[in-house]
Amino acid sequence: MNVETAPRSTDFQPFARPERLGKSPAWLDSVREAAIERFRKEGFPTPKLESWKFTNLGPLARTTFRDAAAIKDPELTRAALEPYRLTPDCHLIVFVNGRFRPDLSALDHVPDGTRIVDLAAGDEEDLRALTAPPAVAVDPRARSLVDLNTACMSDGAIVHLGRGAILDPVQLLFVAVPGAEPTAFHLRNLIRAEAGSSATVLESYVGLGEGIYWTSALTQVAIAPNAVLRHYKLQAEGRSAFHVAETSARLDHQAAYRMFVASLGSSLCRNEIDVDLAATDSAARLAGTTLARGSQHLDTTVRIEHSRPRGISAQEFKNVVDGRAHAVFQGRIRVAPDAQKTDAQQVSRSLLLSSTAGVDTKPELEILADDVKCSHGATIGDLDEEALFYLRARGVSEAEARRLLIDAFIGELIEHITVDAVRAYFRRAFDHWLADGTRS
Amino acid sequence: MLKIEDLHVEVDHKEILHGLDLEIPEGEVHAVMGPNGSGKSTLAYALAGRDGYAVTRGRILYRGRDLTAMAPEERAREGVFLAFQYPVEIPGVVNANFLKSAVNAVRRHRGETELDAMEFLKLARQKLKLLNMDEALLSRPINVGFSGGEKKRNEIFQMWMLDPRLAVLDETDSGLDIDALKVVAEGVNALRGPSRAILLITHYQRLLDYVVPDKVHVLAGGRIIKSGGKELALELEAKGYADVVKAAA
Repeated sequence: MNVETAPRSTDFQPFARPERLGKSPAWLDSVREAAIERFRKEGFPTPKLESWKFTNLGPLARTTFRDAAAIKDPELTRAALEPYRLTPDCHLIVFVNGRFRPDLSALDHVPDGTRIVDLAAGDEEDLRALTAPPAVAVDPRARSLVDLNTACMSDGAIVHLGRGAILDPVQLLFVAVPGAEPTAFHLRNLIRAEAGSSATVLESYVGLGEGIYWTSALTQVAIAPNAVLRHYKLQAEGRSAFHVAETSARLDHQAAYRMFVASLGSSLCRNEIDVDLAATDSAARLAGTTLARGSQHLDTTVRIEHSRPRGISAQEFKNVVDGRAHAVFQGRIRVAPDAQKTDAQQVSRSLLLSSTAGVDTKPELEILADDVKCSHGATIGDLDEEALFYLRARGVSEAEARRLLIDAFIGELIEHITVDAVRAYFRRAFDHWLADGTRS
Repeated sequence: MLKIEDLHVEVDHKEILHGLDLEIPEGEVHAVMGPNGSGKSTLAYALAGRDGYAVTRGRILYRGRDLTAMAPEERAREGVFLAFQYPVEIPGVVNANFLKSAVNAVRRHRGETELDAMEFLKLARQKLKLLNMDEALLSRPINVGFSGGEKKRNEIFQMWMLDPRLAVLDETDSGLDIDALKVVAEGVNALRGPSRAILLITHYQRLLDYVVPDKVHVLAGGRIIKSGGKELALELEAKGYADVVKAAA
């Protein structure tokens, strides 16, 4: 009778035997066992939980997924991945169906002082950091999928920048090649930037071919004093995919974190970003766009925790929603009593392209310090009729006029990406999305 | 070129034009003058095909074809150009990108080859130079932060780029100082030619000092109530609309 008990939750076995974590230490085994026990108890989060009010994981919970280990590695060539690569010569670590593929990766020129490896090559310190609780505390019931990921994680990337290391763009490319039966891929990544280091990391999630699969991904980010991380994520999963992911970042003194996420794939997506400005004078600038059409449901949930004084956070998120699709943006800012002189800004803007498209935005501010600057704003609108008419009256077709105006809405966010190659990458992804819309 | 017969137009279920007749032959410049609220902008929008301007009776024949059946972009491609009274500011859409799309849409429609980026730029620079305008305009978002005069000149520039057969200018003279007015007038005069028709919609006579019309029509209460030569504009200026409207009634 208890609807909060997800029907399929007990089907998940703890992947005690992920071959890549074969020699896992005893403490890790108990962490994973405890995690699956909690998941069995809580099941999937339901809309009864405040933070899941707008996103119903029912379709995911009702699907029975095979273990990724049960399917054999698909044949893939480097050439097939070419369209998804950041640049032809960037550092690249590839995972196909949740498994590291050294044959498709390009890790020959990783500089000294930096490691880009898969989970199997992680050391004790990596594993501790990987399995640390997410940066922002929430109701544990809302985190049951993190528990599931902890229990089931089979592989993932570790990017470790030593003190003062400077790393050219690195791409973590997660490719799904779905088979006939639904399959789940549980990935756990770690980006550790030691003091004074600087890096650009792009995570790309792409699906090749049709078929149902589930990518569950948790990326742990730890930025030491005076380190800079530019972190980008493209969620371009296949159209029948589920994507549930969390990025959890802890910022030390004077650490700088930039994150940009574009979410445009999958049928159902929940992307959470948790950032703890855990030490003084740190800065987090987050931006992103959700592009939803058809019957997609794409959720972006951001939580910023200002734990210590003089932190700066900025969020700028834009949604474009067409068809019967639904976008969700939830943004929470919490300023701890100690976090004086905090500057926290949040803006979300949504463009609805059809009368059946929907959007839910929920800003949430909890400010416990008294000397802070905080603001938030949200707008929801449709395309400007006057602007459309002006463009059409000059001979531009209605479809092209709409495209120009959508481009104007999103283009600005992309223009703000500071790394040239990454900006071009997202530009391509966005142009591709726009072009797809006119074909369908 | 343009033949409007018994045109009735409703906006928000309210009839604004009550049987307007107007004919502009090829090669001529006509002015439609009228007081505020007479239906001038409604006429302009009805010609350009704006949503919400419903033609309930009558027809608009353009080169023998019924204009009212065409979408705004089809009209533009067929050679109808409307210079807006209030050109719209469109943040994020760069002039050059938009105008290249527009020019190529028109060229495709005419069976001409599309311009590539270089050819477009060359043509745009040439027109801007003739209009004495800064080519920085090309990389700016459409009309954003433009002064009133700049917006109107941008309309004239776009008109030159699109090379229309029928140009409708809706109060293009309003809000301009005398220098800007001269630039706009020269821009319009340069388009005069045997294969084009121009319709100037205006409240004041002063533009007509610089663009001398072949005919002047007085629009009042949603109808053309009087037509005449260019001297009619001067009469309106001298006597005011009230007297002319009363005399015509």
